[in-house]
Amino acid sequence: MAGLPRRIIKETQRLQADPVPGISAVPDESNARHFHVEVAGPVKSPYEGGTFHLELFLPEEYPMSAPKVRFMTRIYHPNIDKLGRICLDILKDKWSPALQIRTVLLSIQALLSAPNPDDPLDTTVAEAWKRDELGAIAQARQFTKEYAMGNKPPQ
Amino acid sequence: MAGSGQTECVIPRNFKLLRELELGEKGVGDGTLSWGLANDSDITLSDWIGTIIGPPRTAFEGRIYTLKMHCGEKYPDQPPTVQFQTRINLSCVQKDTGVVDPKKVNCLRQWSRNASLADVLAGIRDLMVSKENYKVSQPAEGTTYF
Repeated sequence: MAGLPRRIIKETQRLQADPVPGISAVPDESNARHFHVEVAGPVKSPYEGGTFHLELFLPEEYPMSAPKVRFMTRIYHPNIDKLGRICLDILKDKWSPALQIRTVLLSIQALLSAPNPDDPLDTTVAEAWKRDELGAIAQARQFTKEYAMGNKPPQ
Repeated sequence: MAGSGQTECVIPRNFKLLRELELGEKGVGDGTLSWGLANDSDITLSDWIGTIIGPPRTAFEGRIYTLKMHCGEKYPDQPPTVQFQTRINLSCVQKDTGVVDPKKVNCLRQWSRNASLADVLAGIRDLMVSKENYKVSQPAEGTTYF
C-alpha cells in the first residue's frame, strides 16, 4: 500500500479490527480510498430492519477535506435526496481533520435516528415530514421494506 | 490497471458523475453545451441528456440538438455511449439511428478516465465546425430519431 497516507491505513485497520456496531466499511479491492459501507437501520427508527448500502470516498486532500459519502439504497429521509446525497454539516463546512471515517459513519447512523426536516435536502420529503410526521414515518418504513430489505449490495 | 489504483487517487464512478452533475447544474462556459440526468431520481446515475446549440456560421447554427448519453457500470474507465435524438447530418452520426460512432470522435476514440460528458459534447460540437461538416445540408428542424 505504498503511497497511501499512513492516516488512511490506520483508519482502515481500525475499522476492521474494531468496527462500529451496526456499520461495516470495507475498502474496494482496487481502490483503497473507496469504501463499500453497510449501515443497519437503527432500532426504533423507521429504517429498522433495513440494510443500507453506501459508498465513501477519501479525496486526495483527505483529511484536509471531508470524505464524500452517498447512499446507494433508496431511502425516504428529509436530509437525503433521491440520488443518495446526504445533507450533514460535518461533510461540508463543519468538517475538521480531527474527525474520521468512523465519526462520519456514526453521524450518518445518528441522522437516521433523528431526521432533521428543518435543514432539508429533499424539500418534498421535508415538507411531508413537517405536515404529517406519522404519515412520513409510515412512508419511510414502506421505502425501507421495499428497497432496504433483502437487497443485495450494488456493484 | 497499473498499481491497481493503490498509489494514485482514483475517483470512483459515482462520485465523478455527481461532480459532473453539479457542474452541469451550475452551467459552464457560454451555455451552448448542457447536460443533466435524464431522470432526477436515477440513483445509478446512468442515463443522461445533453444538449448542443449549433455553432454560428455553420449549417447547425441556432438549432438545439438533444443527445442521450449512457454511462455504464465501467464508466469512466470506459466512455459513455451517445445517440442523437434530434435528427442531424454529421460525419460521426449514423444516419438512420442517430448513434454516434465512437471511432469518429477524438474524445471517445482516445478516451481517458479524466474526460467528462462535457468533453464528449464539446468534441461533437467541434465536428460541427469542421470542414467536412459545416456546410452539409440538414434535415428539417425539430425532427427526431425517436
